[in-house]
Amino acid sequence: MGIISVKNLTYSYDDKTNAVDGVSFDINKGDYVTIIGHNGSGKSTLAKLIAGLLEAKSGEIYIDELKLNQENIYKIREKLGIVFQNPDNQFIGSTVKDDIAFGLENHRVESSKMQGIIEEYAKRAGLEKYLEKEPTALSGGQKQRVAIAGVLAMHPNIIIFDEATSMLDPKGKEDIKALINELHKDKDFTIVSITHDIEEVLHSDDCIVMNKGKIFDHDLPEKIFSEPEKLRKIDLDIPFDLKIVEEFKNYGLKLKSKTQKEMVEELWQYASKN
Amino acid sequence: MNNLVFGKYIPIDSIVHRLDPRAKIVALFVMIVAIFIPKSWWAYLFLAVCLLSIILLAKLKLGFIFKAFKPMMFMMVFLLIVNCLTLKTGYVLISIGTFAIYSDAVFNTLFIVVRLLLMIMLTTCLTATTKPLDLTLGIEYLLSPLKVFHFPAHEVAMMISIALRFIPTIIEETMRIMNSQKSRGVDFEEGKLKEKIQAILSLIVPLFSVAFERAYELADAMEARGYIPGADRTRYRNLEFTFKDGLLILLSFIVLALMILSRIYL
Repeated sequence: MGIISVKNLTYSYDDKTNAVDGVSFDINKGDYVTIIGHNGSGKSTLAKLIAGLLEAKSGEIYIDELKLNQENIYKIREKLGIVFQNPDNQFIGSTVKDDIAFGLENHRVESSKMQGIIEEYAKRAGLEKYLEKEPTALSGGQKQRVAIAGVLAMHPNIIIFDEATSMLDPKGKEDIKALINELHKDKDFTIVSITHDIEEVLHSDDCIVMNKGKIFDHDLPEKIFSEPEKLRKIDLDIPFDLKIVEEFKNYGLKLKSKTQKEMVEELWQYASKN
Repeated sequence: MNNLVFGKYIPIDSIVHRLDPRAKIVALFVMIVAIFIPKSWWAYLFLAVCLLSIILLAKLKLGFIFKAFKPMMFMMVFLLIVNCLTLKTGYVLISIGTFAIYSDAVFNTLFIVVRLLLMIMLTTCLTATTKPLDLTLGIEYLLSPLKVFHFPAHEVAMMISIALRFIPTIIEETMRIMNSQKSRGVDFEEGKLKEKIQAILSLIVPLFSVAFERAYELADAMEARGYIPGADRTRYRNLEFTFKDGLLILLSFIVLALMILSRIYL
């Protein structure tokens, strides 16, 4: 059983159509998993179900071998943190440090230990200079960093990013993606990122593709992107770099590269030889 | 949205900022009572001087406080019109044909306006110098005796704090929706009453929708971070009542006593 184990999960908002329909999967400890799919494919509903913010119609969820139910919900919430799409709707504190403290207060961390924890995780999220600032006065990327620091301070095993970069400008997006990659390197956290950013998938260990509430595909990112036509059937596409590789393939040149840098080097070598 | 001042906390370091929120809340209530007592302009002048001193001590800009008056202007003008039409006591100040404006109408309105302005100054001072979380904490402490009667002191305090925190956000959202509706031809200023009602409806419906959406998201975020209404929590900030806080409450009661005396002797 993975650190997150979902078994035959179904949820409906209106009792007519299932927003999540018989979904099952396992996520291994320390993995970075991306969940992609169109709006309305059930990604965010799935995240809320895993976080215990919605109650499933049927099916089971296990977090670190604990079954998600009313009895265990608060134990599970200590193991799991979620960062939402709109940072403005997540703040409680009037300053960055007060906001980071909110979760610690809820988890009854001793007052004397809080300052140290706040400083440690604010530093990790690159916010050490902004502790006294009002979160709403920060840039989009910085706001989302505050939300991440608030989650990290509770030291969860699992962090869910629910389209955490979708409302940010390109700089903010890159900042947050870099922070997620950094967190993943430590292997302290299992990361689940619900995203529309197909490029982000390339950095993950595992990818779940959702369509109409069901799992359309669940595999390694390379495997998923190796069948672009399958993805295009549900109006999704492969990352830009892989599209270039695909175009070269159509002209008879098979590139092995996965990143832009690798591609430039491979093309340079090819051009030098010919 | 820098024009929005009501409910906005100004993060600077001043003696007023450092005061205990409980002392500030108690002093605010005592001062509000004091504002409603006097009948003399001298007493109001004294109150205004007191409040200006607090604003200066709080290092707040006077322009910032005056901005808080703006939203009340319409109400004040409306009040003046109603009073001019209904109050027919005192001596005639202006007479146009059969219509006359009486002194009581103008002076009563002025009294109400001055009281309102002083109240706005006080509350703006409180919210500008007290972090919403400290305000919550202060209100919770002050309401805690009511817990004996199962009054949800913490939940009420949290509600007030969130409401204050979201005032600028909701006003910003209102402006955004207004601009969006204006760009589609909705006119909020001109037109007949029916058209104006329709225009306001085009603002209210999406505004409520957005406000509910934000409320749901905030509730989810709070729940996900382990917030349980009514459950025990530890505190990052613990309030400390010092001599200065006691002095503030004492001073506010002195002002109250002076206002009572002014009512009797002036």
